[in-house]
Amino acid sequence: MTKLAIEHLNKTYADGTEALRDVSVRADDGEILAILGGSGCGKTTLLRLVAGLDEASGGGIAVDGAQVRGTSRTISAVFQEPRLLPWLSVADNVAFGAQRLDAEERRTRAEALLARVGLEGYGKRWPKDLSGGQQQRVAIARALIGHPGILLLDEPFSALDPFTRSSLHELVLGLWQELKPTILMVTHDVDEAVFLADRIVVMKPRPGRVHETITVNLPRPRDKISSVFDTVTRRIMHAIDRSLGEDGKAGLRPQAGVHSPWW
Amino acid sequence: MKNWAARPALIGLIVPALLGLAWEFGVRYGVVPGRLMPPPSALWTSAVAMVRAGELQSHIAATLWRVLVGFGIGAGAGTVLGLLTGASLWARLLLDPAIQAIRAIPSLAWVPLFILWLGIFETSKLALVALGVFFPVYLGVLSAIQDVDRKLVEVGRVFGLSRFGIVWRITLPAILPVWIAALRSGLGLGFMFVIAAELMGASEGLGFLLLDGQQMGRADSILVAMITFALLGKLADGILVGLSRPLLRWQDVVRAKL
Repeated sequence: MTKLAIEHLNKTYADGTEALRDVSVRADDGEILAILGGSGCGKTTLLRLVAGLDEASGGGIAVDGAQVRGTSRTISAVFQEPRLLPWLSVADNVAFGAQRLDAEERRTRAEALLARVGLEGYGKRWPKDLSGGQQQRVAIARALIGHPGILLLDEPFSALDPFTRSSLHELVLGLWQELKPTILMVTHDVDEAVFLADRIVVMKPRPGRVHETITVNLPRPRDKISSVFDTVTRRIMHAIDRSLGEDGKAGLRPQAGVHSPWW
Repeated sequence: MKNWAARPALIGLIVPALLGLAWEFGVRYGVVPGRLMPPPSALWTSAVAMVRAGELQSHIAATLWRVLVGFGIGAGAGTVLGLLTGASLWARLLLDPAIQAIRAIPSLAWVPLFILWLGIFETSKLALVALGVFFPVYLGVLSAIQDVDRKLVEVGRVFGLSRFGIVWRITLPAILPVWIAALRSGLGLGFMFVIAAELMGASEGLGFLLLDGQQMGRADSILVAMITFALLGKLADGILVGLSRPLLRWQDVVRAKL
């Protein structure tokens, strides 16, 4: 069953930059969909449109068959930075993700989730007392406390060291198995996409378009150092190569007179 | 060394204490004239006499009352208008240019007009103090709102806060540290303007004590008033800081002293 349908989405910014052109992506209920691409292919723009933080120039976004405009209660997000509210305790930050529940229920759930993300007993501390990886765990707990139908992940692991990143991959997978939200994640890390996603949408840049969608037919838990994992990774790499095309490859070589990209 | 570092207040007392001693002995041995420069011992005697007579307390009460009421009015108006112009583009376009234009007038230039409009008694003094407090608070709140992190506002939006909810739960806590700093500078200006108001004509208050001391040639009561001002200002600021400290514990800043 389709949970999220992104149909013919266009986004042109006020300065005339075309960030997305005719992007259509569908995600089934409980599916993990990775959007993979380099800088400038509109990954983050796409996620911001789905989150309701920006308005599309054309096309539509439907959740459970109904068009959504603006932010939606069923859609939650983890950003690239933890973005915790520094004046709230860790527990209150987690509870912040569930505005509609009553206080008692929020406290119980926040406590349980904090324990689940490995931060039991940290509830009364301030965000400033936590490491980057711990803060991102709190952000994940905050995003899941309201049991969202759709969870958006905007490269939430990219600023972390490889060890922390790996443990957070496991954590997100575990929570996904418990709560089964549809996950739309944006990343530029091929390994990460292959490890987590059911399907991978490879995008190509300037303007951002969908290049190719690849299904990852690997059983979970996936082994990052197995040969099947390698095979899928290589397929994705080829797709990325093709997505860059001739002009993309030319762009990789140093060249005089090339305009600098907009970002 | 270690013990001294643990008590920075004591280090700060060394220079004033030495100056006081030099002053005291300078007068005692006739190096400086004691009539215009009364030594610490004479100041202490005058202060004790003024307290005994109940004189100093009533001056302090009059001045403090003016500062507090004026500060309340000025800080309240500055906060409300700053929030309004900070939160609404329309209010900013409409009000901020006028407020900035008024700010360009040196606040003391209002004195004659306030006296004409409000009389020479309390109201004009309160108005002057309020005006002095208003601007730093207004400017602080306005700029703090414009500096609120867009990323945190987005968190509020994603998690379904209303426009009002975002103001209440994101904007206000975010501007709290700057607001308190603005209140502190407003309070400092409040003390400055209360002297100005009292020098213009008053029958009580520390500013009156200053003027009276000048006219009667009593340097000691001028100095007692000045020292009282210093102590009161420091005390009021300390109370403000003390009240705000529990609200700001979450801040991730270097703050060895405040």
